[in-house]
Amino acid sequence: MVRKNRGYITLFLLPTVALFIIVYAVSLVILFSTSFTEWSAGRSPVFIGLANYIKLFTDDADFRQSALNTGIWVVLQSTVHVAIGTLFAVILSMKEFYWKFARTVYMFPNIISGAAVGMLFLCMLNPEFGAVNSIVRLFGNADYSQNWFMDYATAFLSVTMTWLPYAAVVTILILAEIAAIPESLFESARIDGASNFKINLYIIIPMLRNIIGTCVILSGTSMLQKMDIILMTTGGGPGNQTMNLPIYIYKTALMDNNFGYSNSVGVFLIGFGLIFVLLCRNLFRIGSSQN
Amino acid sequence: MLKKSLGVLKYGFVILIVLLSLGPFLWVLLASFKTNAEILSNSLGWPSSFRFSNYTKAFQIAPISRFYINSVIVGIFGTLLNLLLLGMAAYVLARFHFRGKKLLMGAFSLSLLIPGAAMLQPLYLTVNALGLYDKLIGLIIVYTGFGLPVSLYILSSYFLTIPKEMEESAYLDGASFIQTFFRIILPISKPGFGTAGVMQFLLCWNEFQFAIILTTGNQSRTLPLALYYFKSQFASDYGVMFAATMVVIIPSIVVYILLQEQVVSGLAAGAVKG
Repeated sequence: MVRKNRGYITLFLLPTVALFIIVYAVSLVILFSTSFTEWSAGRSPVFIGLANYIKLFTDDADFRQSALNTGIWVVLQSTVHVAIGTLFAVILSMKEFYWKFARTVYMFPNIISGAAVGMLFLCMLNPEFGAVNSIVRLFGNADYSQNWFMDYATAFLSVTMTWLPYAAVVTILILAEIAAIPESLFESARIDGASNFKINLYIIIPMLRNIIGTCVILSGTSMLQKMDIILMTTGGGPGNQTMNLPIYIYKTALMDNNFGYSNSVGVFLIGFGLIFVLLCRNLFRIGSSQN
Repeated sequence: MLKKSLGVLKYGFVILIVLLSLGPFLWVLLASFKTNAEILSNSLGWPSSFRFSNYTKAFQIAPISRFYINSVIVGIFGTLLNLLLLGMAAYVLARFHFRGKKLLMGAFSLSLLIPGAAMLQPLYLTVNALGLYDKLIGLIIVYTGFGLPVSLYILSSYFLTIPKEMEESAYLDGASFIQTFFRIILPISKPGFGTAGVMQFLLCWNEFQFAIILTTGNQSRTLPLALYYFKSQFASDYGVMFAATMVVIIPSIVVYILLQEQVVSGLAAGAVKG
């Protein structure tokens, strides 16, 4: 079949290969090669060796803060966020009356545009009329006007709260995996007198190692992309309190027009992601058989 | 005793999660019907009447209808182009063995490992060089590419479930390769295309960071950008700001509620790659 259809096979693959080259391959070549250059808008790139990287690691407080924040968010998302989603999935898997409703509603913040999520929280946490401050005022403190997103003490926490609890994707993935566990396992456990709590702890959770590993990778790497919510709410501020690597790349590339430098941050971001993925794959032994 | 307190904890957790998910949405929805004075004096209460003036005003203050049309165009064509190209590629990769196939698959799955933000400046450059800056077609091509790994995976797994005999009998009847693909394979793969299509549409509809760097004028900006650019214009009129937020959110929620099963299976399929 292959010989006769070789022409068609090429024809069917060609557009996707072209797409891949335009969007990914060319980008990677530009990214790596210009990360070793001094290059701003309207000029041609000049080779400067490792100077961009040396500056990044020795003399750039904004970069350090961005990398640190990104790291903290990756860790929080791959632990706390995954734990919340897993716990919720285990509860929903008992299929009590509310489970479908809860699953649907939990997905709302994940399905709407990040820009809109940012806007929702900007309104909720508004110092004057936001729901959160209004609730605090209800309990007596009539002049309470915490500016959540602009106060140094609360900005980082407020931004974190816009994504940390919303683990519906984790919940959906784990629910699907629980549904695939053979019923006979539960039955024999029940016959042996195990309680629901024990079944969850000793049977379900260990069976989920692979999928939890996948969720850790997905949730962690999603933090390497977060830009929309931050840009909508704090813009990286106050100061550089809530800056992360994507915001930093956006600022250096498109506001300062410092292309070569921003691309060295891009290379760092890719390397950061690769190391994280490799670490998780080893930690959870993804791909190897269960137990 | 232990059992009872565990039960209380469980329901407490469920209620907390539902409140966190639904609360902000409902609060902004209610506030979008309030006047400015009501929002300031009665932030937590019910609106005095369900007036739509904030919504009509939102459409007057910002060119939201223009942004809306742009988002619909980008969503529809970004999805159709992605399904057509990736459908063809996935079919060939799922059905035939040829030299270089492993290399190709490896390269395609590499695209999952590149955070979009790293490509901000390079793609900005490429899109400019192609003369597609500030054009909807530029966004459509970039989004078609972003959906490459997920669509490829969902579609090729679907094609693998179709028995080979389907095509063989078509060939015996004298159908050509192209006819077999478009007349036999496409119609029976509708569920696979449905799942991939919903994921791709949501990607196009919600995408923000490349929309912001690849467009500059109102004639090619998409809906998520409306909130960003008109935040300051809306700022004096809170009710309008709430209404504009709802206008952006509601289509995503409607698509999700109508096509929930596709989204759920699309997420599950997409994640296996991780």
